Amino acid sequence: MASKSSLLKVILLGDGGVGKSSLMNRYVTNKFDTHLIHTIGVEFLNKDLEVDGHLVTMQIWDTAGQERFRSLRTPFYRGSDCCLLTFSVDDNQSFLNLANWKKEFIYYADVKEPENFPFVVLGNKLDVTERQVSKEDAQQWCRENGNHPYFETSAKDATNVAAAFEEAVRRVLATEDRADHLIPTDTVNLHRKPRSSTTCC
Amino acid sequence: MAAPAATKIILEQEGIFIHSNATRSEDHESLISGLLRVMQKDGEIMVEYKPLEDAVDPSSMLCAGKDTSSVVEWTQCPGDRPHRPVEPQQSYETEWDMINTVSFKKRPYANGEGVSNHVHERTKWAFFFNLGELKSIKVKTEGWSYLVFCLKDDIPLPAFHFHQGGSDAFLDCLRRYVLLSESPGDESTLMVCSHSKALSQSFENLLDDTTFGLVQKFKKDPYTTTLGGFSKVTNYIFDAFRGQDMEHQQRPAEEVADLLNEVIPGLEINQQEEPGFEVITRIDLGRRPDVERREPVSAEDWAKHVDSEGRVQSVPHLKKIIFKGGLCHALRKEAWKFLLGYFPWDSTRDERKNLQKRKTDEYFRMKLQWKSVSEEQEKRNSRLRDYRSLIEKDVNRTDRTNTFYEGPDNPGLILLHDILMTYCMYDFDLGYVQGMSDLLSPILYVMENEVDAFWCFVSFMDQMHQNFEEQMQGMKTQLIQLSTLLRLLDLVFWNYLESQDSGYLYFCFRWLLIRFKRELTFHDVLRLWEVMWTGLPCQNFHLLVCCAILDSEKQKIMEEHYGFNEILKHINELSMKLDIEEILHKAEAICMQIKSCKDLPNSVSEILGFNAETELPRLEVSELEMFEPPQPSRPAHRQECVAGLISNDSIFNSGKLPKPNAGCCLPQREQCAAPRPSKPKPVRRNGTTFRGASHRPEPKRGDV
Ligand SMILES: Nc1nc2c(ncn2[C@@H]2O[C@H](COP(=O)(O)OP(=O)(O)OP(=O)(O)O)[C@@H](O)[C@H]2O)c(=O)[nH]1
Ligand SMILES: [Mg+2]
Repeated sequence: MASKSSLLKVILLGDGGVGKSSLMNRYVTNKFDTHLIHTIGVEFLNKDLEVDGHLVTMQIWDTAGQERFRSLRTPFYRGSDCCLLTFSVDDNQSFLNLANWKKEFIYYADVKEPENFPFVVLGNKLDVTERQVSKEDAQQWCRENGNHPYFETSAKDATNVAAAFEEAVRRVLATEDRADHLIPTDTVNLHRKPRSSTTCC
Repeated sequence: MAAPAATKIILEQEGIFIHSNATRSEDHESLISGLLRVMQKDGEIMVEYKPLEDAVDPSSMLCAGKDTSSVVEWTQCPGDRPHRPVEPQQSYETEWDMINTVSFKKRPYANGEGVSNHVHERTKWAFFFNLGELKSIKVKTEGWSYLVFCLKDDIPLPAFHFHQGGSDAFLDCLRRYVLLSESPGDESTLMVCSHSKALSQSFENLLDDTTFGLVQKFKKDPYTTTLGGFSKVTNYIFDAFRGQDMEHQQRPAEEVADLLNEVIPGLEINQQEEPGFEVITRIDLGRRPDVERREPVSAEDWAKHVDSEGRVQSVPHLKKIIFKGGLCHALRKEAWKFLLGYFPWDSTRDERKNLQKRKTDEYFRMKLQWKSVSEEQEKRNSRLRDYRSLIEKDVNRTDRTNTFYEGPDNPGLILLHDILMTYCMYDFDLGYVQGMSDLLSPILYVMENEVDAFWCFVSFMDQMHQNFEEQMQGMKTQLIQLSTLLRLLDLVFWNYLESQDSGYLYFCFRWLLIRFKRELTFHDVLRLWEVMWTGLPCQNFHLLVCCAILDSEKQKIMEEHYGFNEILKHINELSMKLDIEEILHKAEAICMQIKSCKDLPNSVSEILGFNAETELPRLEVSELEMFEPPQPSRPAHRQECVAGLISNDSIFNSGKLPKPNAGCCLPQREQCAAPRPSKPKPVRRNGTTFRGASHRPEPKRGDV
């Protein structure tokens, strides 16, 4: 029971083509496919990891970035423990859209205290030479929009990918300072005293 | 995350509320939200309730009315969210609220564990009991349903409010283990009897009731005389009878018949291993016939259908053999143009040459339009810019392992790009939406010609247009239709999906959006599409393809007790593992099975186009016999006997009652926006009173 790991739901959001699926695949399967097809619908993969002594199963949800598919992806926002806002450093528009993604997430995930919700910002495609978004601009945005941690990643070269996902876990654990997040549900009394706990009033 | 080995969770529903105030208060603070579970533990069935959260978020009171059908919710205007705490922002208003409307409070933890952080503060509301201890259940409605359990020692428990629906699913689940029968004195109370005894008793009562017209008919028919020897009945039939309405036993025969009519388009009676038992194992459409597929149509077959001037002859027959076997690859380039409607079947070779000339001009005129937009111009045209950027991104990611598109700077990629850009000029309102490159790629691969591929793509898009429109109306409609079909074909499976919040079949989204393009290997996609383009053997055949795939997966899904997430994952992972011939086989068989049913719910006939028979060439005509041995007559006859019993009887067609259109399929959704209707109102319908009729479909036609 002590070794039971807890399940964290992490969701990747960002414009189409910024590399969400590539980041997920790089992290979970350690592969990169240049011609990975664009996502339709929603998908998720699980990954077990240990962060600061906590065993965690991360359930990474990947969605389709195009505007048109919003109604399909938004229902899956609920229950997320962390949101990874993703843009591509070679695509300024995807950077400008971060604010919209954040707004959409907060709205549909029904986040109670947006100020305290863990977001992590990823600037992907670090390997490309023609950047459109500077590191400084990205960092500034993160500072001004809730002090989100910022990672520059490359799904292609595997740069910083694991670090970013692990940071997501850390943020969740830190937010949920109630340690009970890691304590498995206690259903013990149920099995111990059959039939007597029908009290209710 | 698995529960201890001896405990199996059979059903778990979140968003079940206790109103902790004795007085009926509007005050949400007095609500306790919790998790209701049915579990199997050491062979016993337990019902457990666990409060989940400290505070109840009023937004969870969305009252999705899922009791009857979450799917119906889609028809709801998305603005119908009475308790939404935040004013929806302009841009979010028009969303298609596909899943939010059903109870989606569930955190995605397997078996729901890890969610009850605050149980300790609410433990006084937690309880469980052994199902054997349950004496009765009061079923009430108050805009939503609530249930009051009474145990054998007369301990009443607090009422459980299903604000987000699900009470039917819950009761259905209990019915697997106990029989719930209406209390003679009080229709709103269900009495609990232990299963085996009660079940057979009750069915015998049904048979002995001389006013029960349907059963009389059964008895008179020699085929069904064995029914009298029933001593055991599986619960399926009761699920269906009772899931629909608890009150049938008290009703006049016509009504019962009407109900059954909706619920049971055909009964299958199977001889089980145990001698002496004739057991109704399921309510279905009769035996699924065997169908045969044939070899792909060869160039020779095709040539036989073309006259000296190039007109295609006996088109219905040709379509039929294409439906039955597809086309050999060499023929596709020619045949697809006809199948897609780019070439008229009765055109001559010369006419087609002229047509192609015209279409070539037209194509290049449109192509020139976007080609001649200067960079400066494009800066001021954000839509064109967006389309272009999406297309560029997607072309790079479409079928790149196919030799036709592989490698850098492959000419295939440039063609994909140019055709999609030109399509934006052809239909600027729609422009480019992701998924469209998936639809174009096989067509271009087959045509190997920019202009022909474009016009064939245009034809295909005419069929698929609605899928991609702003509101995705086509997707909504198809998912609702699919759900209707699935309920007819397999109520048990559909109920299972519903119990996992998956009744709205969101996991079929990708299948439907791009017609299985991502699910099958490239060559199987070609096969499936040409088969579908024949328009045979019924309208919306692709929905039966979905049913066929689900039919093959349902056992695994139910046996492994997959939840919401696992179902999604399982279906996503079927990609590239499906066998096209097997699927087409099954889908056709399902079509024949449904078609041979004499009394389909109208909604089903409409979806499959059985009402507009003349529009489609029938498959049964003699032409096909040369490829298809006649169906074995016995099972067909048997289906007719059973179906005929229900449909062709004067009681059923007496015109006294309109037949509910939705049949068993799409009950009207519960009123969920209305805060609190004072009492469950009796609904009068043609002189008969229905109580608690909120889960009954109104007899309304054509509203699917
Ligand atoms: N150079 C480079 N290319 C990348 C990187 N990550 C992704 N890509 C490429 O960018 C394109 C888009 O990547 P995806 O992972 O499909 O993007 P996405 O965000 O999932 O896109 P949607 O599914 O459409 O929302 C692909 O061609 C990838 O190969 C990266 O780190 N470096
Ligand atoms: Mg993707």
